Amino acid sequence: MVSGGNASSLPLVGGASEPTIRELSRPGRRASKYPKLDVPEVDFNHPAMKNEKAPLPEVSEHDLVMHYSRLAHRNFAVDLGFYPLGSCTMKYNPRFADYVASLGAYSNTHPATPSEFTQGSLEILKILETYLTEITGMDVASFQPPAGASGELTGLLIIKKYLQNQNLTNKTEIIVPDSAHGTNPASARMAGFNVVEVATDERGMVNIEDLNSKVNENTAGLMLTNPNTGGLFEEEILTISNIIHDAGGLLYYDGANLNAIVGVCRPGDMGFDIVHSNLHKTFATPHGGGGPGSGPVAVKSYLKEYLPGPIVEKNESNFYWYTPENSIGRMHGYHGNFLVALRALVYMKLLGKEGLDTLGSYAVLNARYLSSKVSKYLPLAYKEPCMHEFVATVKDLKKSHKIKAYDVGKALLDKGFHSPTIYFPLIVEEALMFEPTETQTVETLDDLAESIKHIIEELCAPGVNLTDYPKNLPVGRPNELIPAKHLTVHWGDFELLELTE
Amino acid sequence: MFVPHSSLDLNVIFDELEISSLEELFKHIPDDLLIKNGLDVEDSLSEIEATKYFEDISNKNKNNLVCFAGGGHYDVYLPPTVKSLTMRPEFMTSYTPYQAEISQGILQVLFEFQSLVCDLTEMELANASLYDGATSVAEAISVAINKTKRDSVIISDGFNPNTKEVVNTLIDKAKFDLNYVPLSGYLFPEDYEFTDKDAAFVVSFPHYEGSAQDLSKLVKKAQSKGVITICYVDPSMLGVLKTPGSMGFDIVVAEGQSIGTPLSFGGPTVGWFATKKDLARLVPGRIIGETIDNNHKKTYVMTLRAREQDIRREKASSNICTNQTLNAIGSAIHLSWMGPEGIYQVGYQAIQKAMYMKSQLKEAGFNVINDESSLREFLVETNLPAKKIISEMGNKGFLAGIEYSENLLLVALTEKRTKDEIDNYINLFSEVNHG
Repeated sequence: MVSGGNASSLPLVGGASEPTIRELSRPGRRASKYPKLDVPEVDFNHPAMKNEKAPLPEVSEHDLVMHYSRLAHRNFAVDLGFYPLGSCTMKYNPRFADYVASLGAYSNTHPATPSEFTQGSLEILKILETYLTEITGMDVASFQPPAGASGELTGLLIIKKYLQNQNLTNKTEIIVPDSAHGTNPASARMAGFNVVEVATDERGMVNIEDLNSKVNENTAGLMLTNPNTGGLFEEEILTISNIIHDAGGLLYYDGANLNAIVGVCRPGDMGFDIVHSNLHKTFATPHGGGGPGSGPVAVKSYLKEYLPGPIVEKNESNFYWYTPENSIGRMHGYHGNFLVALRALVYMKLLGKEGLDTLGSYAVLNARYLSSKVSKYLPLAYKEPCMHEFVATVKDLKKSHKIKAYDVGKALLDKGFHSPTIYFPLIVEEALMFEPTETQTVETLDDLAESIKHIIEELCAPGVNLTDYPKNLPVGRPNELIPAKHLTVHWGDFELLELTE
Repeated sequence: MFVPHSSLDLNVIFDELEISSLEELFKHIPDDLLIKNGLDVEDSLSEIEATKYFEDISNKNKNNLVCFAGGGHYDVYLPPTVKSLTMRPEFMTSYTPYQAEISQGILQVLFEFQSLVCDLTEMELANASLYDGATSVAEAISVAINKTKRDSVIISDGFNPNTKEVVNTLIDKAKFDLNYVPLSGYLFPEDYEFTDKDAAFVVSFPHYEGSAQDLSKLVKKAQSKGVITICYVDPSMLGVLKTPGSMGFDIVVAEGQSIGTPLSFGGPTVGWFATKKDLARLVPGRIIGETIDNNHKKTYVMTLRAREQDIRREKASSNICTNQTLNAIGSAIHLSWMGPEGIYQVGYQAIQKAMYMKSQLKEAGFNVINDESSLREFLVETNLPAKKIISEMGNKGFLAGIEYSENLLLVALTEKRTKDEIDNYINLFSEVNHG
């Protein structure tokens, strides 16, 4: 390995289990200190109050800091190593954006503060809107949705309300490719639509014949990501959008794969009416271990009045909140994940024109290079040139050596890499989906490919026990049945289980 | 920017791919679709320039308003210890912990978060977070509808209007009746009768207006009709308030901002969701469980995955995927930092300071509407429109509260407010009201 150290080796502090904060608790210890009450103390009783203290841990501040620092040592992260995680866009998250988001005037503002005192924050959202709409080819955006799935639901509710207002209540079907993310059909159901699946052809793209057979007067719209979840550009996208529009349906763009096309082409030019962007993917805001994200929705101007509000508008002198006339309503208690949106704007300003114009190109370049390297050891699912991600398959190794995609992923952890996305898209057998992003070096990409070569050799050797992998981490493969069966989801549950069994 | 390739690197990559330019990567994309002259955006900024750019814009916010606004988001003291631990890059820049072997850090903190939320609310099972308080209320209603297969929802009117709007967006009004029950004397009417058509009883504790009541009897009445009872609680008051579990609630949700997250203009914050184990399989979002690995070593792992959208697809009961993990981590660390005595002080001092403020307001001739039933938050009548009071006091450095109605202001106290700040507020409040 020349690209760097082994990020996921045993933590510095050793491989022993870390006790829980409750196990570290001792009566009478404390980390917090509050000032003495500076108003006259009054005796009072209230029927909503209790007498006993809350059962929280009692620890010293040093113990608290050591505990959570030791736990941090047991976690992989973008700052430690490479996540070739397809569909997740785990690129570098600039530190500078965290600095800006920590400025008190942004981070300490109460959300109910009137707009006359928050002109700066409203301006941030307005500028970000101009960037997002330019990048996606749309006209107006709402920052209400706090995540991608919420953005999807927003888009579908917009479609629903728009069609209702046109008295097109027969339109109840949303078409979703069989390769789509699980959130797509889940969001469509939540919005009250029926989900109709369209097949993928042997090239890995929407099967136009099948699409034609599924589209009819009941079609409300299509949800699609382009490039699709196989990492391929839907070359017939203009045909697809014509088919949907001719049937009176709307096109929804799932922004999961937007990183591939920033500066290359735009969903708005492909015929999409609604786009959500995942700011935590394409625009480099940190994933936070699973969130927060931000899933702003941008639309063509004819849908503006349906957006979840309030959205930011500007008159001659001021920014102000505006609730669109036919708004589907709020998707969030206040203004969405504002500090995430702010970080995304910081990233865009640092990239500027030269960075944004080439963003998608470099993301695709790295994926194309990695696919070329990986394909020497594992067959790819599709022959077409990939965009920002590609899918390889382990199905041959499964036949010959019972090695599954899962096993390759687990063995890769030992080599200092996060696993690629496995078993997705569902339509590819034993799928491994790789997305390198534009921020990885050639050496890292080479190292990953070499590691895959070594892993295959290692796992194919006689006498190997696949379930032993990974071997060099704080824990091995978890028993997933125990918590699912016994609901060991609260401290004490597991000990109780041991006592009773 | 952030692309590492030198021209030498590009030569290596281009050679491997047998291309000579970036444009060649996109020969398969219809030419009509390719952007011809680049995007219409400004040139890049260096960090030095960007510092000025973003500081200049931030200065257009009125900074350091002394915060007397609440409504779900509270200016509770957030120690730098909690912030710096939460922002450790191993937490902040990691992905969802699907790969348990390299994610024990996140998994254990989330397991601790779930356990702390359960202990604090007296529930049995908490998830690893939802988006915010408002969306958590809607998710809880969905669970109740799924569980009971009934289509009427009884919601207390005493919620932040934004929360009600989120519920109205997310619960399909064509299929379900949302019945908002007005408060009576700022409390939920104790004589309210539920029916066996009701899926859920949803109530805020304390109410948005700041008043609180022991909800035990109402919960019992609702449950006797098979209704799922849902409590939206102010978590930073749980050091002094009765727990939702002790009042018998089936589901507890919360806006968790005041525990571990700065005010953040409302986002990102965190939604808490806790319930009883018999509803486990209907719970939205991720859940972490404790187990053992193949060497019998303690291990944490995401569990009950069969509920989630990536597996159940259109049959999933919620579409949530990305959540608010980092804020949940903040909650866990902040709760551990406060401990039993700290969270007691946070609640107790807020109430004492509110009592002082109410008495001073009354002394100055103002009408405190819900003096008796309120705790840390209350309604005060204004002589001029509340909007104007907020505006004028804002110009003098105070966020006076939230406009509740034309002449009612919703005022909140936290342990951070000092006697001086309260006294100055009241002087100014008198001045602008009589201005």
